[in-house]
Amino acid sequence: MTIPADLQYTKEHEWVRIEDGVATVGITDHAQEALGDIVFVELPEVGREVGPGEAFAVVESVKAVSDVYAPVGGEIIEVNEALEAGPEKVNTDPYGEGWLVKVRMSGETVELLDEAAYATFLEE
Amino acid sequence: MSEKKTPLHAEHVALGARMVPFAGYSMPVQYPDGALKEYGAVRGDASAGLFDISHMGQVRVEGAGALDFLQTVTTNDVARLADGQVQYSALLDEDGGFIDDITTYRLAADAYLLCVNAANREKDVAHLERHAQRFDARVTDESDDTTLLALQGAAAQAILAPLVDGDPDTIGYYRFAGMRICDAPCVVSRTGYTGEDGFEIYLPNKAAITAWRALLERGAQPAGLAARDMLRTEMGYALYGHEISAEVTPVEAGLMWITKLDKGDFIGREAVLRRKAQGPRRVLIGLELRERGIPREGYPVLAGGETVGRVTSGVHSPLRGCGVALAYVSPEAAEREDFAIGVRNRAIPARRARPPFVRSRTRR
Repeated sequence: MTIPADLQYTKEHEWVRIEDGVATVGITDHAQEALGDIVFVELPEVGREVGPGEAFAVVESVKAVSDVYAPVGGEIIEVNEALEAGPEKVNTDPYGEGWLVKVRMSGETVELLDEAAYATFLEE
Repeated sequence: MSEKKTPLHAEHVALGARMVPFAGYSMPVQYPDGALKEYGAVRGDASAGLFDISHMGQVRVEGAGALDFLQTVTTNDVARLADGQVQYSALLDEDGGFIDDITTYRLAADAYLLCVNAANREKDVAHLERHAQRFDARVTDESDDTTLLALQGAAAQAILAPLVDGDPDTIGYYRFAGMRICDAPCVVSRTGYTGEDGFEIYLPNKAAITAWRALLERGAQPAGLAARDMLRTEMGYALYGHEISAEVTPVEAGLMWITKLDKGDFIGREAVLRRKAQGPRRVLIGLELRERGIPREGYPVLAGGETVGRVTSGVHSPLRGCGVALAYVSPEAAEREDFAIGVRNRAIPARRARPPFVRSRTRR
């Protein structure tokens, strides 16, 4: 179970990397493992505005459909198009090649946890 | 009430399987390598998957009146079976609705074994016992004493052969033979729910763990319910509670081929004849998505801007590279070739496709 120290996390099992007002978002190792083999990812349109906590993407595994919630509010400026042909990247590299979207932040976020707080949350 | 366990429960847990409740049992939905790998073991050219399906029910029917009894309660023509032959069949109620889909094995003229769905076992046994009273036939529920394994895939025969005392190559499709595996009597039947060559092996519980481990050691890959559902949906095989239920007759479900109206009277025959004359209330069709997306049970089927039906089973087909689905639609809509499936807020175009969606490789 990997929880990189340089990222922040949500209680809905998303991770976020914030650099210069742009947030890169994905789902955590815990989430991809719980979902199983991911066979389809539905990403939002570039340009869409999302509010913090809003469902903005869907990750589908063999058996389940799972909403992904925006850790931060703002405008979607890029989506990971490689996931169309390679949805399994979310399983194999959830913090790297499995990234979902980049958001130009409006400033609002949900409660973000650091690595230690997320690890504690997982143990509950 | 906690779930029941098959004799192999501890084996699945030890292998790291994710266990889920299913039909009152704790069953493996997938093992750590994931459902797609398990699917690949079954569909591959040199491998095989191994499923523990011991939750299913086995009912023995014996007596001089066994044949007449089974002719009355099942839809298929039991008289066509020879010793060592199996047929797919169904139990209907008086309204022609499905009580269950089953397989009927003829061991001898006065001895048969029915394999039934786990979820319907108690209901089936009660139905059979009630109707057996009119015949010289005894019904015995042997489910709790029977372990059932399904070994499915191109390598199934090569994996199994050294472990049994007979030659599985001599068993034809939908035939079976009594053999011994790991020092225990078993029934090896060339049947399955995947569309690949393979066997279903009935054995006493005491040999379950030994046989399971021996098959894995010979290269069979443990496979769970998620993979099983992908495989059977790709073949268009019905699953009770989805394509078949008390609400549909064989006419709607496309199962008239196992409903032999000419064999003589049977429970539900009159209702099926009436339904056949009136026409089905809905029609089961296959659909292939033409754009990315995964069809799932309950999603609406659209045509001409209207909802014309609902998906009963749907999966992403790794072999086809697209979503495939079984769905009931209105008889009018069933004339069409082009539909859409509502997935969240999208209407994904889908074309009519007659199952199986992938090529069957069962022995002919």
